[in-house]
Amino acid sequence: MEAYFDAARSETAAPSAELMARVLSDAHAVQAGLIAPADKTTTRRPSLRQAFRALGGWPAVAGLATATVAGVWIGATQPDAMTPYTSFLQQDAALYQVDLPSGAGFDVDEGTL
Amino acid sequence: MPLDMLSDISDDVLLTRFAKGDAVAARTLTLRLTPRVLAQAYRLLGNHAEAEDVSQEAMLRLWKAAPEWRLGEAKVSTWLYRVVSNLCIDRLRKAQPDGLDTIAEPEDPGDGPADVLQRQSRARALQSALGRLPLRQRQAVVSRDLQGLANPEVAEIMETSVEAVESLLTRGRKALSADLIGRRAELGFEDG
Repeated sequence: MEAYFDAARSETAAPSAELMARVLSDAHAVQAGLIAPADKTTTRRPSLRQAFRALGGWPAVAGLATATVAGVWIGATQPDAMTPYTSFLQQDAALYQVDLPSGAGFDVDEGTL
Repeated sequence: MPLDMLSDISDDVLLTRFAKGDAVAARTLTLRLTPRVLAQAYRLLGNHAEAEDVSQEAMLRLWKAAPEWRLGEAKVSTWLYRVVSNLCIDRLRKAQPDGLDTIAEPEDPGDGPADVLQRQSRARALQSALGRLPLRQRQAVVSRDLQGLANPEVAEIMETSVEAVESLLTRGRKALSADLIGRRAELGFEDG
């Protein structure tokens, strides 16, 4: 039998160029699928970092955070010191209505006020 | 990196590189493994077109298995031969109603020197006789005598014991010999 086996071993079927191309194409397709999810995670993190840097780093972000907290505090508690600035907003009268004395005009004469 | 520089790198290392997106590893593994896979598939199926389809499917399964591959745990070629073997057996079992004897003789390669022609005739005769062997015996003979794998590796591929492989080999070789004895003169064995 060894003569038959020798003959068969020396007559190995060779893969066609088309088969090699198909196998390689599958390999690249699978690789693309394996790499794509990793790309998503790696691009998301840099974008957050880039936004952080664009704002000016830790000092700027700390300032923004303080301003946000102060805004919330003022809105929620309305301290007395703020009342003169905010109470007029609650009046019913419209601020654009002005009573003028009769005969009053808007003439401006030279040399007079 | 040139492909020849990767010739010393093992299959499993290349496979982990493949999983990390290394295109050179993909090309090296394709060039290294596809011919072996095709040779095994062809010897089991006796049909080149079907063997190519099986080879592509087996290689695709390898690519998909790459992310979970653990270095040093399994031999890539053994794993691949098992996949090829199972795919071929599935096909042969589906084709069984037509009978295994209908497996066609490989194409005549054309003219050439006498010894080349004789070798090709013997190879074709063996391929036909393999097609008439029971599947398990064929699997064992192809893996051991034609692919040159060791018995323990054949046992792993066939998911059986080494003793069972030895038994299958003995019966397979005996059946092949009986099948081919009538063609001895035709195949240049008249002297012995």
